Amino acid sequence: MASDLDRDQYSSEPDPTFVNSRREAIVIFCTWFVALIWAVTYCKINGYDIEDPANIPTTLGMPSWVVWGIAAPWLAADLFTTWFCFCFMKDDELGIAGDEEHLEHAVEVDG
Amino acid sequence: MAHHTFISSMKDNFLLAAAEPGNSVLFTFLIYILGVFVIAWLSNKLLQNRNFLSEYFLGSRGLGVWAFALTLAATSSSGGSFMGFPAKIYTHGWVLALWIGSYMVVPICIMGLLGKRINQVARISGAITVPDILRDRFNNVSFGLVSVALIIFFMTFNLVAQFKAGSEILRTLLGPIDAFNSAVAALPEWFGNFSGLGADYMLCLVVFGVAVIVYTTYGGFHAVVWTDVMQGIVMLVGVIIMLPLAINQATDAIDSSDSSKTGMAAVTEEMAKMVPPRYVTIGLSLPESPTEDVQIPPGTWVSSQGKVPHGKSGRVFRTKQRNVFSAGAPVSLVEAIEIISPSDKRRSFKAMESQNKNDADGVASNLEVRLVLNNAKVRIPSDYVGDLSKVELKTGTLLPWEDQGTQRIANLYAITSEVESLKAGDELDAYVFDFIRTEDSFLEMEQNVYRSSLTEFPQLEGIEISSLDDGYYAYGAADEEIGSFVTAPGPHRDSTSGFLPLSLAISFFFMWAISGTGQPSNMVRLMAFKDTMTLRRSIFTVAMYYTMIYFPLVIIFCCARILLPGMEAEADRIMPQMAVTLTTNVGMGWLAGLLIAAPFAAVMSTVDSFLLMISSALVRDIYQRNMNPDATEKQIKKLSYIFTLVVGLGALIGAMNPPEFLQDIIVYTGSGLAAAFLAPVVYALYWPRSNHQGCIAAMIGGFGAHLSLYIIGFINGEGFTPYRPLELDPIIIGLFGSFIIGFIVTLKTAPPSDKVVKKYFYKKLEG
Repeated sequence: MASDLDRDQYSSEPDPTFVNSRREAIVIFCTWFVALIWAVTYCKINGYDIEDPANIPTTLGMPSWVVWGIAAPWLAADLFTTWFCFCFMKDDELGIAGDEEHLEHAVEVDG
Repeated sequence: MAHHTFISSMKDNFLLAAAEPGNSVLFTFLIYILGVFVIAWLSNKLLQNRNFLSEYFLGSRGLGVWAFALTLAATSSSGGSFMGFPAKIYTHGWVLALWIGSYMVVPICIMGLLGKRINQVARISGAITVPDILRDRFNNVSFGLVSVALIIFFMTFNLVAQFKAGSEILRTLLGPIDAFNSAVAALPEWFGNFSGLGADYMLCLVVFGVAVIVYTTYGGFHAVVWTDVMQGIVMLVGVIIMLPLAINQATDAIDSSDSSKTGMAAVTEEMAKMVPPRYVTIGLSLPESPTEDVQIPPGTWVSSQGKVPHGKSGRVFRTKQRNVFSAGAPVSLVEAIEIISPSDKRRSFKAMESQNKNDADGVASNLEVRLVLNNAKVRIPSDYVGDLSKVELKTGTLLPWEDQGTQRIANLYAITSEVESLKAGDELDAYVFDFIRTEDSFLEMEQNVYRSSLTEFPQLEGIEISSLDDGYYAYGAADEEIGSFVTAPGPHRDSTSGFLPLSLAISFFFMWAISGTGQPSNMVRLMAFKDTMTLRRSIFTVAMYYTMIYFPLVIIFCCARILLPGMEAEADRIMPQMAVTLTTNVGMGWLAGLLIAAPFAAVMSTVDSFLLMISSALVRDIYQRNMNPDATEKQIKKLSYIFTLVVGLGALIGAMNPPEFLQDIIVYTGSGLAAAFLAPVVYALYWPRSNHQGCIAAMIGGFGAHLSLYIIGFINGEGFTPYRPLELDPIIIGLFGSFIIGFIVTLKTAPPSDKVVKKYFYKKLEG
């Protein structure tokens, strides 16, 4: 509880949950930035100002600029998300809130 | 009450009997509402033996993977995802893939950027709401109050807007059903008078509002979450069923003489030939004056020759509004679109044939287009010195119009502004006869005719057309812009830059991924998951979920351009119309009910979350934290129910006569919340040096920077359209402003106490 706080309760090491979540947030932000740069740049070059739209190149039946600018990176982003969730992101201790302590106590009493 | 004749309201090229899908919609709707109430009842049982506040507003921080993933996904997918988004795809084409492109990283951003850390900090401080976190993290009461004030300010507007959206969706879904129209007709007059939007809107608002308020109030957070799960599943199943049906049927609908390709390639090739329609006003007539009022529903096909013409010369139109022929009036004006592309016209004529075949009343098949008109404004010069009482602005008057340096002549049909007497400086609304883009040589002849008309009516000298809307898209209709449905920036009715200029494409990457991260309604959900394993699995689940929903929607509604021509006339109905068309074509009309429930589910899941957020801000952040810290659980419980009920009823009353610019308000509040909250929350979670001065400055700075761009836009006479420096959306300026201001103020003020830093950023010793 906040009122019981005592400086001596804490070590000099940063909280690992904080450190891990900051590291993960930086990676995610970079991912967002890469997605932005790829999608916007690719679509700008290949999707805007097309000279002969009537004969637009297609891939899998869709305009090629949509497939390589959006659909393919979307699948790549899904693969990255899968790796991120199951290989990179750490399982950390989140702690117990005051209301949960109350709950645990209630369960113990009930039990 | 006047008798009305209704033309069959199912009116696309695969015309169907209204009864089957109508009953499906009603049946699904009733099952759905029943399911929602059962969930609320079960959730209320969970409230027993638990900490009421934590359970009612945060589900006891115990959400598992499916509940957490789907509540977040469903809350983020508002009604817009299943009504507005399909309408946009239909109207602007493949460029919507880029518009929605950032959804490839939205799940990992909105859940991963803040999720783990905000959940941990909420547990350390015992926070239940976002203002709770900010107040406790900085041990500052004022910060909590500022954030509560902003949440209530933004959310209240948004809640009213969402209530209106929910009712509009319900009205769109139920509109074609005879049983619904009969129920509306049976309503007492006073009921409809509560709203300026009509009795049908009022009925939908009450049904929608009461359902949401009751289940949210009674069941709290768990009811909201589990209905979200149900709604999320409905949305996914709907899309998965529609995708193969749409591709298959669109390919079949393409004339083999138009394309040698198959599948999506044929659809894309066909879209490349399309030209957006023209927006005009048409004068419709019946062969004989009706003896009683005759109603023509929106979406009725009509041609310029009264019967279906099979040559290239035929013109085909689709009405945009419900239109009434008053008894004795032979001609009625109605807004419509005119189909331009040859292949679209062929499909439209087929749709018209089908409509006329099913026209039991024989009204639609006898309609004739007598006039095609364009909107214009007629200006009396402010320095006009002649005698205006002698000026007659009657049908056939020729008036000059300056268009891009070329003098052109328009032929007046009628003045529509109500004026008793003309005054110098007046600008009057008018119709002119269909304004054809003419050759220069022809213009010279027109100008000669105009000059000779002035010798007869010299008092018309100086009176001119100040603006004229010839109905063509500002981008996408010109010869050199053909193919705009398969390229970026996509066609646009008003903007010469097209639908998605590059600057806007960049803005949307911020809007969906970063602004979504800054939404307090998402943050609250991030405080509710059970453990980090749940978070990891949920990010993966939502990523797969969005992949299966959003990109397929682009494909489905590109196919809709082939299957349902002319739906620009009522683009918001494209989702239900497509559901009915696809399922009935395969003899499974009953399935339409399930598909149509998706948009209703989406808006419900957004509204319930917003409702709970406002009531939690009032009960927890204002009453318990500031007015009565010793309130008993019984008092809190009673107040939570009362506030949720009162806020819901308040929004319902507000939505009866919603303010103008409501859609703009939704955009403003969504981006405004992110501009105000993202930077302070990021600093609070990740920067040990951050303090309350810096974070309050970031919050007010983001809010102020964002708001000021709207104010500048308003001062510039743009109404609710914000000023966009370098064509960038206000959200980008607001976010940058917020982060920079917060950073500078933090460094210029005293660091936080060591005690607070230790509590939130250092490892707690065991024992």
